[in-house]
Amino acid sequence: MSIRAGVTNLKEGVGIAFDAMRANKVRAALTVMGVAVGVFVVVAMSAAVHGINASVAKDLESAGPTSFYVYKRPISMMNACDGTDETCPWRRNPPLTVRESEAIGRLPTIEAVTAHSATGEKVRYKDRQLSQVGIDAYTANWTEVDGGDIYPGRSFTSQEAQAAARVIILNENASKALFGDSDPLDKLVDINGQPFQVIGIYHYTASFLGKPGSAQSGDSPTGIIPLETGRRHLQMSMRWVDFTVKPRSDVKQAEAIDDVTATLRAMRGLRPSQENNFAVTTQDRLLEVYNGFFGTFFVILIAISAVGVLVGGVGVVAIMMISVTERTREIGVRKALGATRWTILWQFLVEAVTLTGVGAATGFIIGAGITALIRALTPIPAEIPGSAIMAAILGSVVTGIVFGIVPAFRAARLDPVIALRYE
Amino acid sequence: MRNTDEYPISTTEEREAVVATAGAAPEEDWVIVTRGLKREYDMGGEVVRALRGVDLAIRRNEYVAIMGPSGSGKSTLMNLIGCLDTPNDGEYWLNGQLVSAMSDDQLARVRNKEIGFVFQTFNLLPRATALHNVELPLVYAGVPGEERRRRAEEALERVQLGARMLHKPNELSGGQRQRVAIARALVNRPSILLADEPTGNLDSTTSEEIMKVFEELADQGQTVIMVTHEPDIAAHARRVIVLRDGVIASDDKRSAFTQKVGL
Repeated sequence: MSIRAGVTNLKEGVGIAFDAMRANKVRAALTVMGVAVGVFVVVAMSAAVHGINASVAKDLESAGPTSFYVYKRPISMMNACDGTDETCPWRRNPPLTVRESEAIGRLPTIEAVTAHSATGEKVRYKDRQLSQVGIDAYTANWTEVDGGDIYPGRSFTSQEAQAAARVIILNENASKALFGDSDPLDKLVDINGQPFQVIGIYHYTASFLGKPGSAQSGDSPTGIIPLETGRRHLQMSMRWVDFTVKPRSDVKQAEAIDDVTATLRAMRGLRPSQENNFAVTTQDRLLEVYNGFFGTFFVILIAISAVGVLVGGVGVVAIMMISVTERTREIGVRKALGATRWTILWQFLVEAVTLTGVGAATGFIIGAGITALIRALTPIPAEIPGSAIMAAILGSVVTGIVFGIVPAFRAARLDPVIALRYE
Repeated sequence: MRNTDEYPISTTEEREAVVATAGAAPEEDWVIVTRGLKREYDMGGEVVRALRGVDLAIRRNEYVAIMGPSGSGKSTLMNLIGCLDTPNDGEYWLNGQLVSAMSDDQLARVRNKEIGFVFQTFNLLPRATALHNVELPLVYAGVPGEERRRRAEEALERVQLGARMLHKPNELSGGQRQRVAIARALVNRPSILLADEPTGNLDSTTSEEIMKVFEELADQGQTVIMVTHEPDIAAHARRVIVLRDGVIASDDKRSAFTQKVGL
């Protein structure tokens, strides 16, 4: 079969497929539905997961690509700690301290480090009150390891940080909620009965998961205060302080991690045989944890959609078998007019793939609609990845071929003499 | 009806000479030559010998009817001539090609190029327009779209259906449907027009109309082979072959045939 004849036959096959679908609308709709469900699940869910991953990656990038984190315990999405030493050996780890972060900051390989802790508080301005504002408390040089911007206004100075000054930087969301369109700068907000002066507005579009370790998710109301202020005035616990460490740009990450680890071990007096009683976590590791979690999620979704596609595929076999039987006579005529076995095989495969293709397109449109809904109604920045589009197209073609091949072979092998006599 | 002797048809001696040499490619003038053509079917352990050795020679531009009662083997012979089936034994030369030795797909190409089928039940695709039905053999020949359409239109005009090209089969009368089928058979300029009971589903007026189309085609030089069991239809052909029990019982000019059956 020449390429031109192949294309001609392709058009013929697609035309026949649409004719057949028009002739048997309900049957075709049922067949198409299985594939549509499969594709729709893949598209919508991969869009959600893709969106989550992209924003997580963005969060991590914003701290600088080689930045890493120090936590009291290793990070994981699923925490199976039941209070015993086996399930959570980190239980006896001492908290990280500001003194340790200062020591890390003095290392020649480190450009900047900030110690951080988080809590949630009620924040009130006059008659407006926000009942749950995420409070992130940092040491003074937090802006050097953070991807956000402050305008108008400024961050706190190291003097303010040391003096535990009651100053606060609100994010856009919190500022809008408390002040509406009026100027929030230098106004006093009430936290826990104490006045805090608003000194800046923070702009940052984090993922809905929030930055690692922060109290609130990305776009929800947040306030940023000095760590010492939080400790002294808001009685913030210092048991779960974490560090964000940014190595110098000419230093390898591994080298910086080694320095930080050695410094902490020395300060904590650990013997060589003892394990670290703190956890250094890189962005790659964080991404791995996220991906591991959503990977599992994804596998389950793929399984669901595979069932959908399988149901659709069985439907394709059924409808194609019926189609071949119904059109036995027509196949005979086509063969009499010069259709080869390959032409007939190709025609029925095209028909099967057209069926699954329509299913994929339907599923894709529904999936795109759901994606738009997710984006509009939830904080997840869902976006359909190119790979999902490819997977939907490829998947529907493969399904069509795999499930269409048996009926197509049956059609191709028909004896024209018998087929022409078929009533 | 005109006198048969006006038409040049092959003589018995000429045919015997062509058929005599087994394995020899016939001269170009002979569009169909079969030598000892046999076809047997296995019907649940019992062997049915549908054709028991048919020697047949048809020259270009002959208009031949193949007759015979049911069970005579005429359908089997038609299927073999139409390259829809392959013989168990014997040779079949079509337009200089030994088709009895060909594979299924080679046969498909021969059907496409050399044979124009006209069926008793028309066998048009019900959801396709007349034009698309006529285009179909050209689709399988790989003719590009524009030329395909032009040639299909020409073929439909040739059977006076130029005005109904975009009608579907169920919007056409029986006679019109059969003319669409004839246009489809002719569109690829085949060596033979092979008609299987072409008037079997038509009333007598429409049958005459279709026979007139065949007559004109034969006048224009088209080789026509028509399988029928009706003597008055067979009498339209210029040469009539009668099969009986899987062999040729008689092979006559029209005049001799009509005399025999008393038409």
